[in-house]
Amino acid sequence: MRKFKIFADFKEEEAYLNEMAKNGYFLKKYTAFGFYHFTDATPKELHYHVDYRKFKTQADFEDYQALFEDAGWLHVYGTKWSLNQYFLPKNDNTDDDIFSTKDSAALRYKHLYEMCYLSVALVIIYFSVLLIVYDFNLANMSFLTPGLWEMTGAKFWRAFFFELPFMLFRIIPAVLLLVMGIAYAVWGSKAKRSYDKMMEDEK
Amino acid sequence: MNISKYLPLTETTFYIMLTLRKASHGYAVMQKVEELSNGRVRIAAGTMYGAIENLIKQKMIVSVPSEDARRKTYQLSPLGHEILALEVERLKHLVEVYQKTEPEEV
Repeated sequence: MRKFKIFADFKEEEAYLNEMAKNGYFLKKYTAFGFYHFTDATPKELHYHVDYRKFKTQADFEDYQALFEDAGWLHVYGTKWSLNQYFLPKNDNTDDDIFSTKDSAALRYKHLYEMCYLSVALVIIYFSVLLIVYDFNLANMSFLTPGLWEMTGAKFWRAFFFELPFMLFRIIPAVLLLVMGIAYAVWGSKAKRSYDKMMEDEK
Repeated sequence: MNISKYLPLTETTFYIMLTLRKASHGYAVMQKVEELSNGRVRIAAGTMYGAIENLIKQKMIVSVPSEDARRKTYQLSPLGHEILALEVERLKHLVEVYQKTEPEEV
């Protein structure tokens, strides 16, 4: 089973995964940008823990995995590139956490919102380049066939359908990126709020 | 360079650094710290990894060749030694001041 969900709060994400396990769905895989893949299993009370990290090298990622395994964690899912890393305690020490200080627990929220804001910045750069390419007039992204709208009948439709794929090719990526940019901005600001709240609570 | 900006060290960082005077991998540091602190300071895996990452970024520890293919080994750098020594001086001073003064003097 596959579910689409986006969390800006790791605690909520962990609670969601625990709830799914209780209903007989165990996390198998997580894929961008929020797809949770589950396998059917006997319902069980599990205590998931989510970490969020980027790795520079494969060796760093292996070292990370080895450290968690040594410390009694089962690495359920996560790749060098997946950012999200999912863990379950190997024993029944359900009180165990993957963080022992509030600072380090809060830091994953910081990593998340930094990644979101970076994505927003990339979308803004993309649109800046787009505006320059289209001479600061986004109408230039639409149909460009000269005199298209004055044409009639079969001639119009031929010209229209001939250019349609090219027009869509220009517009669809831009619309998708715009939607993604807005989604990342919302996601990032939510994660930032969680981070600020955690740092606030600490004082 | 102004190294006093690294001070004071958190208790976790202090324990990790003093353990890494001898080259060691992450989990061994976690065990050693628990032992040295009589079980009081238990560093969790995520916190440990983050601390290592941070200490490497600050050049206080370095990664040294390891016999273990999967586990990286780390050791305190000369800068790390210097900072650790400064922190020990700072703590010593605090204790001395405490011992030299009487409650009514302060």
